Amino acid sequence: METNLVLESLKFMVLGMGVVFLFLYLLVLLMQLQAFIVGKFFSNNNDSNTIDTKKSNDLDEKRRIAAIIGAVMQHKK
Amino acid sequence: MKMKSFLLAAIFIFFANTAMLSASSVHESATDAQQQQAKPYEPKSIAQLSATFLERTGIYAMLFPQEGVTNGHGEEMTLFEQSTGRVIMFAIIFLLFYLAIAKGFEPLLLLPIAFGGLLANIPIANMTSDHGMLGIIYNMGIANEFFPLLIFMGVGAMTDFGPLLSNPKTALLGGAAQFGIFGSLIGAAALSQYTGIVDFSLQQAGAISIIGGADGPTSIFIASKLAPELLGAIAVAAYSYMALVPVIQPPIMRALTSKEERCIVMPKTREVKRLEKLIFPLIVVMMIALVLPDAAPLMGAFALGNFAKESGVVDRLSNEMQNSLINIVTIFLGLGVGSKLASDSFLVAETLGIMVIGLLAFAAGTAAGVIMGKIMNKFSKEPINPLIGAAGVSAVPMAARVVSKVGAEEKPGNILLMHAMGPNVAGVIGSAVAAGVLLSIFN
Repeated sequence: METNLVLESLKFMVLGMGVVFLFLYLLVLLMQLQAFIVGKFFSNNNDSNTIDTKKSNDLDEKRRIAAIIGAVMQHKK
Repeated sequence: MKMKSFLLAAIFIFFANTAMLSASSVHESATDAQQQQAKPYEPKSIAQLSATFLERTGIYAMLFPQEGVTNGHGEEMTLFEQSTGRVIMFAIIFLLFYLAIAKGFEPLLLLPIAFGGLLANIPIANMTSDHGMLGIIYNMGIANEFFPLLIFMGVGAMTDFGPLLSNPKTALLGGAAQFGIFGSLIGAAALSQYTGIVDFSLQQAGAISIIGGADGPTSIFIASKLAPELLGAIAVAAYSYMALVPVIQPPIMRALTSKEERCIVMPKTREVKRLEKLIFPLIVVMMIALVLPDAAPLMGAFALGNFAKESGVVDRLSNEMQNSLINIVTIFLGLGVGSKLASDSFLVAETLGIMVIGLLAFAAGTAAGVIMGKIMNKFSKEPINPLIGAAGVSAVPMAARVVSKVGAEEKPGNILLMHAMGPNVAGVIGSAVAAGVLLSIFN
């Protein structure tokens, strides 16, 4: 019997979309879980205690500089 | 005793003789070949010299195509492929140059691909053969699917999963957009089942449909595994449509959403801790290891690049992956793919089918992402702008930029870029997973 290409590809779609969603849904759950765990147990370590965040947290650095500038301006007034 | 030693000696002499005979025959055939290759030079008149030179010119080869001329792989080329076909290919290649340079269509890849195509169509030089420059490059890293993986490593080192980690559920939008892949798989199958225009096998249909994943390296990886004969057309279609994302997507996004939906402002995302970013690539690799080992090459390379970047301790390696390595591989990948733009492999009815199906795949992926965005907006506590679903079709970061642009047009000041980056990077994972499923089916 000749394979019905359309029917086969329909089956591929069911399997494929199923696996893609399952995979990403598991990933979502794991991401939420790790956010929860990291937030709960490692929340103090975010800035500089255990991990060197100098490079990745440029934003923090900028904020600190902004705060210092703000304080100086306040002082000058 | 004498008899025994005599017999032994006879056997020994017999074997020694046959060995010598076979050795001398090998030697003879080798010298034959040498003689054939290096014919003694015979004196020629200037007219004869000019005539033989003329026969070796490209103009002559294209104007007077001959039967029995083979391409780089020893297959015979038709008269059309040798003459008009080459001219058409030159025209197509100049169009690709124009698109890459004047219109800015993914120039980093389209330019080397087109130049590879230009070289591949030069008559007589046979640059796509195993000893030609393009053939060597192709065999070095595309036939064995190595280059796309190196590209993926560099892309991983450039990707920031922060936006996805800050709002994990947007990953599902990246999943929905993979409908483009499987929808177009059905399209390709229907096209060859019910019309006589093209005749795709299931493997070929699978390789074509991956264009809908809007991810260049994944497309090349799958095409070289499942349907290497269609590689040139698939790569050109994938990169052209990725460049056309700003043209293809906005009309579909507008058609499927209401003005109110497009104006939805999403809440500011939370800040992601560095530790989360560091663990994420490991989670992905472990999930691939447990659920879908067929996607391990793609996701493994991707996660390695990302892990090197997020670890923060191997900046030298991460910089190399993001810059020199990916640039070198891009040159080779482009030239290698370009070798498949030779007239005999590109000017076939299938190419047209691939172009049409690729476009449909992009449109279907965008539409599915937006519809999923609408559904999630209905059921989610926090508002979700359905436009960000369109970014689920990978094409990082172009698709996310397009979403941000459309959103800002509807409601000035509504910046969706960071929200769209979540589905965007999830789309890369989604299409690698879809690719893994296709591989698992055909393996």
